[in-house]
Amino acid sequence: MESITEKGPKPVAKVFTYILLGIWALINLFPIYFMFTFSLKNNDEIFGENIIGLPRNWQWSNYAAAMKTGNMGLYFLNSVIVTVAAIFISTMAAMMATYAITRIKWKLSKLTNAFFMLGLTIPLQASIVPVYVVLSNIHGLNKYSTLIIPYAAFALSMAILISSGFMTDIPAALDEAAKIDGCGYFGTFFKIIMPLMKPAVSTVGIYSFLQCWNEFMFANVFISDSMHRTLPVGIKALSGQHTTDWGPIGAALVIATFPTLIVYLFLSRKIQASFIAGAVKG
Amino acid sequence: MKKFKKGFAIFIFLLPGLFLFISILIAPIAVSVYRSLFDWNGFSEGTFIGFQNYVELFTNGSIKFMTALKNSLILAAFSVFVQLPLALLLALLLGRKVKGEKVFLSIYFMPVLISTVVIGQLWLKIYNPDYGLLNRFLDAIHLGKLKHVWVGDVKTALASIIVPTIWQYIGYHMLLMYAGVKGVSTDLREAAVLDGATKWQVDRYIVIPVIKPIIKVSVIFAVTGSLKTYDLVRILTEGGPFQSTEVPSTLLENMLFLRNRYGMGSTISVMLIILCFAFALLISAAFKEREY
Amino acid sequence: MKMKRLLGSVLAGVMAIAMVGCSSAPAASDNTADTTEPAAAVSTTDTGSTDTATTDDASGEKISLNMWCIATEADSNRHSYEQAIADMQEKYPDITFTWEAFENQSYKTKIKAAVSANEMPDIFFTWSCAFLGDFVDAGKVYCLDEAYEKYKEELPEVMLGNSTYDGKHYGVPLTMNIVGLFANMELLGQVGYTEIPGTYDEFIECCDKLKEAGIIPFGCAGKETWCVTEYLESVIEKSAGADTLNDIFLGRATWANQDVADAVDTFQGLVNNGYFDPSGIGLTNDEVKNNFIAGKYAFYMNGTWNCADFANNEEFFPKVKVGEFPVINADKAKLGQLIGGPSDTLAVAASSPNAAAAADYAFELGKLICHYGYLDGCGLPAWTPYGDTSSVNALTQEVAKICENADTYVLFGDTAMNADSANTYLSYVDQVYGCLLDGQQFIDGLAKDIK
Repeated sequence: MESITEKGPKPVAKVFTYILLGIWALINLFPIYFMFTFSLKNNDEIFGENIIGLPRNWQWSNYAAAMKTGNMGLYFLNSVIVTVAAIFISTMAAMMATYAITRIKWKLSKLTNAFFMLGLTIPLQASIVPVYVVLSNIHGLNKYSTLIIPYAAFALSMAILISSGFMTDIPAALDEAAKIDGCGYFGTFFKIIMPLMKPAVSTVGIYSFLQCWNEFMFANVFISDSMHRTLPVGIKALSGQHTTDWGPIGAALVIATFPTLIVYLFLSRKIQASFIAGAVKG
Repeated sequence: MKKFKKGFAIFIFLLPGLFLFISILIAPIAVSVYRSLFDWNGFSEGTFIGFQNYVELFTNGSIKFMTALKNSLILAAFSVFVQLPLALLLALLLGRKVKGEKVFLSIYFMPVLISTVVIGQLWLKIYNPDYGLLNRFLDAIHLGKLKHVWVGDVKTALASIIVPTIWQYIGYHMLLMYAGVKGVSTDLREAAVLDGATKWQVDRYIVIPVIKPIIKVSVIFAVTGSLKTYDLVRILTEGGPFQSTEVPSTLLENMLFLRNRYGMGSTISVMLIILCFAFALLISAAFKEREY
Repeated sequence: MKMKRLLGSVLAGVMAIAMVGCSSAPAASDNTADTTEPAAAVSTTDTGSTDTATTDDASGEKISLNMWCIATEADSNRHSYEQAIADMQEKYPDITFTWEAFENQSYKTKIKAAVSANEMPDIFFTWSCAFLGDFVDAGKVYCLDEAYEKYKEELPEVMLGNSTYDGKHYGVPLTMNIVGLFANMELLGQVGYTEIPGTYDEFIECCDKLKEAGIIPFGCAGKETWCVTEYLESVIEKSAGADTLNDIFLGRATWANQDVADAVDTFQGLVNNGYFDPSGIGLTNDEVKNNFIAGKYAFYMNGTWNCADFANNEEFFPKVKVGEFPVINADKAKLGQLIGGPSDTLAVAASSPNAAAAADYAFELGKLICHYGYLDGCGLPAWTPYGDTSSVNALTQEVAKICENADTYVLFGDTAMNADSANTYLSYVDQVYGCLLDGQQFIDGLAKDIK
């Protein structure tokens, strides 16, 4: 389907475009390739014999080391628990708040929305001191909830921004109809609105995921025991242990990264579509 | 009764959101503002010292707040003037119906999904003075004299933080802009082409103005993101060498855990909030003016 | 015989610190000093003591005690803790003792949080002087005066100087360490030396010869500023004198001291002469230590806790010697003025329900950790040594000899000062090492910024 924009063949420009796109693709893929290959090499190969080639002897023992001494399995699980819980809480809270802001008519709804939008520019760091003090006083450090609650709170503003974009697109007539059928606010929200918000949920989920899964500062500051560490903190600790042995670090990096990338590869269309939806609606 | 019911419903719907938002964001900020006026070590009473923390922040030669601020502004400048133009270029190119558009898109977004800590570790391996890829590459192409202790040399340390930061998030901004580019109606483009416009002219005069709001959001995110940088600095340089790569967030952490100065930590938080808001407003204003 | 004499002189030296000690150290924490290994927090919970047979003489009931420390699996003290705890569990089967070890840096965060939340374990590891002093000021630490009565014979009171506040004892000292000048004699031999040069001029001449021969004289980890202080503090002490430095560290004299400025310039001269490994700036202490063992540097100035690690490396051990940094200005300083002192300490939480029992337990445990630690070469003992100590490695014995002639000890600056001052100090040291400041700017800045 040649579009009219293709103003005759201009092979030079076209080749140039592809070269540019190709180079950038390589720049993006190379580190991932490098990480994967050095995770399967021993130090001799990494430090001299075979720097960027495929591993000669596949050292799966690096993975065993990362799982065993590095505890990567536990940290992965911790990251999943924290991220899923934070996404669930923030999405639910955001949907409810958005409903109140966009679909119930009241005087201060605009102001409330603006209030929530303050969160888009507030840096995470702003609350780290007081939250730390409060948590340490109520024995709240070193638990899953130590991270879940702040993550949920910080994902909230973006979640509200995106879901209000989606929610205003739902025709008001539906609410009227529900009202006639005898649904109250709660009935309308759970029975009518929520089912229609599925695409919004996936978009909000992706944005929140990016924010929570990779978060390092709160995790580094609030979690000091090894039981509740998330992946980023675990990797930092592991790299301190193995300053001269790169293989296990590479393995840990792969363990932390590849599951996400694989899921992404399978769902990339959907994820991109959702992400783009967020950009447009937001 | 009905009014009460409505009010009650609004209250319940807002409750979880407001609870999270106020308890984790708003209340702590208020506390930070208050505590920033104290000399306080976290467990004793603390003494009220007015704005002395703010004064000390700029005058104490060991705190390096100015260096930190300068570093994050340099990073912001690189984000806005290197990262975003690159992202825009990629988005525009992909918006031209190239073959394999989806594949490129998927690849470009990959680094965004990787944890910054992983990226930091990976780049540490690239920068390693003895075994790192970069120095070996320079050796291989007979440019051994350009070799550096990348993260340990005052001249290159900041740059070695900036490069991965910019690299990682190009995909993020690219996808946001791509969404905008795809949103430009084909009719509009075709009309322009019929009028004899080249591709670049179409991009310049039709596409870019349409996606301006998205660019504005990208600029705000890039600048406030730079002010908040923490991860890569912690991993790559720990603020060194000689504190030349400190950023406000690493200083903040030092105040809490190395120096027991919670009051000063709060002061840095407050400065960060003020800066983020100031820049967000400034950028919005700049974009508004240009519209006419 | 020999041991006794040695201890006598160690004590005499420590007396000096004990007297100048930090009995009223105001605020908290240090950032460094003694650890070596950045291991990940390996937490171990020892459950080997679930068996209960007899009753405890102190209380007559079963009690459980918990301890936090930093002896992670990678720490050279690990072994002495394990042995000491095993002994204790055998001796007191009725006390259920559990312990956890955390990585140094995260431990500092954790213990501070626990203190402010009143959630401390019964017994905890701490650094003496300012770090412990902060907790003592907040009333969170159990006073050990009563328990100490029972151990007076074995633990000389002078050793408690760094953990004594307002005349009361709050800590059980374990080992003490000083800064040693470690030398790779194989490399020194290549330029014609069989001993570490004894005077400063000879020392510099030796460095020049090493440099000419393509050997880097000093290895120093720039990523961890405390490693720089090991060099800088020695240079200042041997130029301006121990008393001057001590007074400054303890806040009794101002930093604005021309001798200090000159000493800093001397140190910077060493840096500018290219005696230090330039890539050391970007390395951690572990990496530098590995380089030293691998024969990359001729000298390595660091704490004497390293003796154990060097002794454990069979290939390297015969090559290494330890000495004292030579005197730079003989008018003000002399040999025997050392940097170091007892810092590793156990303390008991005031909030512990079994504080009295925990205090006794801490003393006995401390004695055993000290004993085994000394045998392992992790440092010199704070307690009177007992049993057969002939197996102590030669390097640690050399250190003991240095301490035998000790005149004055000045505690590591960042342990002696409170957290804020210590970090201000470290920041300035960092800038000196990077040649961003000269001696004059160093003293001016510190005089202004340390309150």
